[in-house]
Amino acid sequence: MYPILAILVKEGKILTRDRQALAILFAMPVFFILVMSFSMEGVFEAGSRARPMEIAVINRDRGLLSREIIAVLKGVEGVVLVEAVNGTPLTLERAEELVRGGSYPLALLIPEGFSKEILNFDHHGAEKATVSFIHDPGTNIRILGGIKGTIQGVILRRTLLAALPGRLKKTLAGARGAFSPPGFLPSQGQEKEFDALLAKAILEKDNGPEIAFLSRSPRGQATGRMPSATEQNVPAYTIFGVFFIVLTLASSFIQEKKEGTFQRILAAPLSKLSLLAGKLLPYYLVNLLQIALMFAVVVFFFDMKLGNLPALVLVSLALALAANGLGLLVASLGKTEAQVNGLSVFLAITLGALGGMMVPAYIMPGFLKTLSLFTPHAWALAGYQDVIVRGLGVPQVLPEAGILLVFAGSFFVLALARFRFR
Amino acid sequence: MGETILRVENLRKKYDSAEAVRGISFAVEAGGFFGLLGPNGAGKTTTIGMLTGWVEPTGGRVEIRGMDLWARPREAKKLIGLVPQSFAFYPSLSARENLSFFGRLHGIRGKALEERMALVLGIVSLTDRADQIVDTFSNGMKRRLNIAIGLLHEPAVLILDEPTVGIDAQTRSAILESLKKLNLGGMTVLYTTHYIEEAQDLCDRVAIMDRGKIIALDTPRALIHSLGKGIIRMEFHEALDEALLGQIATYGSLTRVDGQKKRLHLETDQTGLVLKELLNIKENREALFKSLDVMEPDLETVFIHLTGRDLRD
Repeated sequence: MYPILAILVKEGKILTRDRQALAILFAMPVFFILVMSFSMEGVFEAGSRARPMEIAVINRDRGLLSREIIAVLKGVEGVVLVEAVNGTPLTLERAEELVRGGSYPLALLIPEGFSKEILNFDHHGAEKATVSFIHDPGTNIRILGGIKGTIQGVILRRTLLAALPGRLKKTLAGARGAFSPPGFLPSQGQEKEFDALLAKAILEKDNGPEIAFLSRSPRGQATGRMPSATEQNVPAYTIFGVFFIVLTLASSFIQEKKEGTFQRILAAPLSKLSLLAGKLLPYYLVNLLQIALMFAVVVFFFDMKLGNLPALVLVSLALALAANGLGLLVASLGKTEAQVNGLSVFLAITLGALGGMMVPAYIMPGFLKTLSLFTPHAWALAGYQDVIVRGLGVPQVLPEAGILLVFAGSFFVLALARFRFR
Repeated sequence: MGETILRVENLRKKYDSAEAVRGISFAVEAGGFFGLLGPNGAGKTTTIGMLTGWVEPTGGRVEIRGMDLWARPREAKKLIGLVPQSFAFYPSLSARENLSFFGRLHGIRGKALEERMALVLGIVSLTDRADQIVDTFSNGMKRRLNIAIGLLHEPAVLILDEPTVGIDAQTRSAILESLKKLNLGGMTVLYTTHYIEEAQDLCDRVAIMDRGKIIALDTPRALIHSLGKGIIRMEFHEALDEALLGQIATYGSLTRVDGQKKRLHLETDQTGLVLKELLNIKENREALFKSLDVMEPDLETVFIHLTGRDLRD
């Protein structure tokens, strides 16, 4: 028993001596729980009463039916309709701008003459009344799917109800005299035929107006197609993986300090800057290879479209630089392997969660959404989504690449100011 | 007088709260074997750091063949070979891969690198282990590789920081023999150690360091001759009475008396005569003596004479 106690006391002392490592050990799960709980709340509660989803509505129709649909939608739990911003009714252009800017995940466009098309339907081959959903291609398909389904359900139900009298009138008019005694109502023994007639009146495609639902991106970022789930998710997984270089890189620096190899290298005729450059370059190349491999895998197995390659390369170069900068910063902050390991994992997970790697930032609470802008992950994700799901090119991803370079620069400056070779 | 290859002037290093090196000066002649001797914490490793561009001095100057190390680091460092106290190489690489890496840092390439690697591997007897992963090496082999890397670029001065720490006697003796041969071949060696025998056996000049200062500097023979006295160390089972203490004090100078008067250090020029007197006392009072040993004059007694402490304190 005594030896166990002695070992326990010794381990306790060693653990408590490295206070930074201990702090990380405790702070990491607490911070992780907070970030993940706040952000995951978004996934499970998006579109619920607790976390309603704001939807921009542009109603170009002046009819009764669209007003009624909007009134019903306003009563649906988990959906908040926004028809005006700062007192100004939304135009299509403004709504697209807001969706593009991430203010709203979805805009609903009811076209001009919608009510009339539905209520006054009286001819075959009439054009379908088209209701449009406008959303960013980067918006998570699963989250949008539920909301779009709810809205479609409301529109179809209200439309069917509104068109019902017309359908019945038309069908029964065609059946005048078919039942005995003559009249609209069937006599005994004719109920089955009458029921079939009613079903035909309600359900037959050509008997009533048809509605089409169109999903598209805001103008200016259309890819011509909506992205697949793989295209939406792979950039996030890639970025998450790239930042694990922080652990490898920082540990390697600590190892060199511990082994005394830095001392020997610096006794050779070379500068500290050359040493750092030589040390960092392989990790930078590893990061780029890692990115190339991840994208190659999804292209091969999932036939994923990568979009504009120069733009993809530009974002990747800036991303890898930011990840390496963070690695050097961690190496400059940690004194022991335990500290470096703890800090690297802490940053990889919390920055990843904050940056929208696990949960899209647009469904996070406001303060987390703002915080996510202070992570390189969020900008890298925006850059990749611009290229892969929005089909944009080099000029459009320059801001994201630029901000990633600012992150990289800041990490390097801070790291170099703090870094000690001993 | 030969050429001065390394000159150190008033070198100082102050950390936040402590001054590790407090204004030391010395010069090493080309082909010399210079020892920095001192206990752990004397400032030897910090000094080595400042001589090799690793630790930036707070003040003072280091010149290598007339070049200021901190003003012209690239040129000056080409002349230095460092063998740090730690195993400063990559354990997951082979001996050859390590040598190749450090050789390239010094600008050696191609055939010249191959030849140098073969030569230094031979010097440290690791030729047949060249392609073995270093992690599998014994401590002694690692020490030898550590030295080989320092020799690789044919430095004018080889600086070794406690190169024999933690190895068996046989490897230690082999390393010391190699260093002697290198020195005989014309290489200047600066060597830090806290092993008296090594300093006495190898060095033609020794600087004794204590608490960041050089407290003596000369050839080992001159130091022992001028400062070394025999020391007789005595330990008793009970505290000595004043009369006996007074009697012992007449035989030399009592450099250390512990609080309980049970342990004494007596310094004398005539160890033989004094020992005879003490043995007479011991014969009469056998039960009183716990131990009695004699240290003939050497660098250890020089250090004790200068500081009042043992080198290993």
